[in-house]
Amino acid sequence: MKGILLAKFTSFIRGPWLFLIFTGMSIVFTLIIGNIGHGFDRIGVPITGDESIKNSAIGKALEENDVYDFAWREKDALEETVRRGNAEAGIILEEDGYEMIVGIESPNVRLIEQTVAELYAKIFREEAVLGLFAGNEEQKDKFLSDYHEAMENPVFTIENQTFQSAESFIFDRGLHSIFGFTLFFVIFTIFYSVMPILIEKKEGIWDRMILSPLKKWEMYIGNLVYSFIEGYLQILVIFFAFRFLFDMDFHGKFGEILLIMLAYTFTIVSLAIFVTAIVKNTQQFNAALPIVAVSMAMIGGAFWPIEIVQSEFLLALSKINPLTYGMQALNDLVIYQEPFEVVMMPVSILILMGVVFMGVGIHLMEKRHLQ
Amino acid sequence: MTLDSSHPLDARLNWSHGGGNMIELIDITKKYKQTEAVKNFSMYIGRGEIVGLLGPNGAGKSTVISILSSLIEPTSGDVKFLNESIIKNPQPLRKIIGIVPQEIALYEDLSAEENMKFFGRIYHLKGAVLQKKIDEVLQQIGLMDRKKDLVKTFSGGMKRRLNIGVAMLHDPEILVMDEPTVGIDPQSRNYILQTVKRLNEERGMTVLYTSHYMEEVEYLCDRIYIMDQGNLIASGSKEEIKQILASENTILLKADYWNDEFLEKLQGIPQVQQMQVDEKEVTLVVSKEINIFSEVAHLADETNIQLRSVHIKQVTLEDVFLHLTGRALRD
Repeated sequence: MKGILLAKFTSFIRGPWLFLIFTGMSIVFTLIIGNIGHGFDRIGVPITGDESIKNSAIGKALEENDVYDFAWREKDALEETVRRGNAEAGIILEEDGYEMIVGIESPNVRLIEQTVAELYAKIFREEAVLGLFAGNEEQKDKFLSDYHEAMENPVFTIENQTFQSAESFIFDRGLHSIFGFTLFFVIFTIFYSVMPILIEKKEGIWDRMILSPLKKWEMYIGNLVYSFIEGYLQILVIFFAFRFLFDMDFHGKFGEILLIMLAYTFTIVSLAIFVTAIVKNTQQFNAALPIVAVSMAMIGGAFWPIEIVQSEFLLALSKINPLTYGMQALNDLVIYQEPFEVVMMPVSILILMGVVFMGVGIHLMEKRHLQ
Repeated sequence: MTLDSSHPLDARLNWSHGGGNMIELIDITKKYKQTEAVKNFSMYIGRGEIVGLLGPNGAGKSTVISILSSLIEPTSGDVKFLNESIIKNPQPLRKIIGIVPQEIALYEDLSAEENMKFFGRIYHLKGAVLQKKIDEVLQQIGLMDRKKDLVKTFSGGMKRRLNIGVAMLHDPEILVMDEPTVGIDPQSRNYILQTVKRLNEERGMTVLYTSHYMEEVEYLCDRIYIMDQGNLIASGSKEEIKQILASENTILLKADYWNDEFLEKLQGIPQVQQMQVDEKEVTLVVSKEINIFSEVAHLADETNIQLRSVHIKQVTLEDVFLHLTGRALRD
């Protein structure tokens, strides 16, 4: 077994190009599509108002908003933008209130209105409080800073929580891209590392090993351990790159992510063995790989959130797709911040699938070899 | 000596009183879903022999080799090594067999030496013993000066030599070679043939050699089995097999071109038993007693064919194959 691993790693070191290409593609696609390094996408909201409102506290506060990209426009341009559907809503700001032009009724519109309303309420409240103050200018500054401090550190806090339903989901484009593209591209790396078994069988290397004192299990374990290590190494490189080069903290779940990836890598190695056992030659393998990988990614939620898939048939198919459970485990852990016990459910399904694929795959391979 | 599959072979007779056979295949049949790759095939290999297995592509030679080396199980029949069946217990045979597959069974991204180390290690050879063995084999196959080079940089002939070399690392008693000279230059081919001959003469290594090149088998082998379409069609020593054509002559006609009329009329001569047409040569198998030279010359005149030469050939295994199957070996 040591000999097999040594031969495989020597070959890998002499020709790591496929590994590097798929690792690079994972990172580049994630950077481009996940918009990593540019924060998240802010929703654009056109606003308009005269010079005085632009320079007022409300104008400044809207410009500095982290969630929405409030951009000043002329009133005509604002109306045109909303009319064309390029923005969900626009806001005409005035000193004593605002007017909202809504193009598309969506949850975002309510949130935008809530943001603007809260801002106005805050400013009005401050003005009202100041109106009641009767001291001189020096005392007024002190009063204002005390007021701000009291607002920031209230005597008690009220925390709002919303119920989560099956229909609601959180979508973090950056994390989703990292998870999706990593799980997708590693399928190619692992499959291409398993494919040499087909070539070795055809060319007689496998026969030579069978005739040697090497045990059958050593042959399989040697090949599978190598594929597992190569696949997992790719995952490590990608996650370490985003953790330490692009400074993503994965909500503090970096270690747990890597644990989940152990199960996913095992399952994909098993799936590769299964596919290798079914196909007859490398041509069939090369044809099957993109079909398997892309369809798994599409119905498993690697390219887009699986929550937006409506078709019952596709959703049923996704239940036998390891990538679905890989994505579910990662999303539950990192995005929904579920405890690790909850994540164990999809991880267990992954391991079970891995065992089944591996068992059936090796059985078919052996059967075919003896025929 | 045996002439056809309906009346099989001397092998069955020989091992009944031969005694010292290493390996025996007894009435082997191998069926796949649609086809029968090997049909009631029997053979034996004695210690220290070079036995040839001849036949065109698709004759079933590789299937016989796989069954003989315990890689696949026959549908029916038995394989014995030193009188013990290997079908349930292949280990004793596997310890002493070296196999040279038809394909280049090597890692292309590793050097010759690294390949040797890999295949040596799977036979539990280690350290200085392994290194000594590697150097010895590399010397034998003439690749000592290229041992550090990657296999993918080798010529076809060098790869074939290394392919043989890795099968010799564990000092096998029997070497099974499946078409080891396919697709290589004449020099490398000679080198391989000489190496096999030397291994047999100097070390007494038993060799099963398959090929569809008659001349290789004629040069190397003590005894020959000829297969076609899964059947054993002849077996025996070279001389015995050639005796099949003892009552026939093989006549070789040469000309710059042939025309259909000439060939049709030639085939129409009742005494012509077999005819093989190449671009500038026609091979005829005819009864020895009959002289057809005048008739051939007359036909050539009549059909405007200018014959360059007409002569009686020494009987070759190729002619025997033509006689038995009506086809050339390389068809």
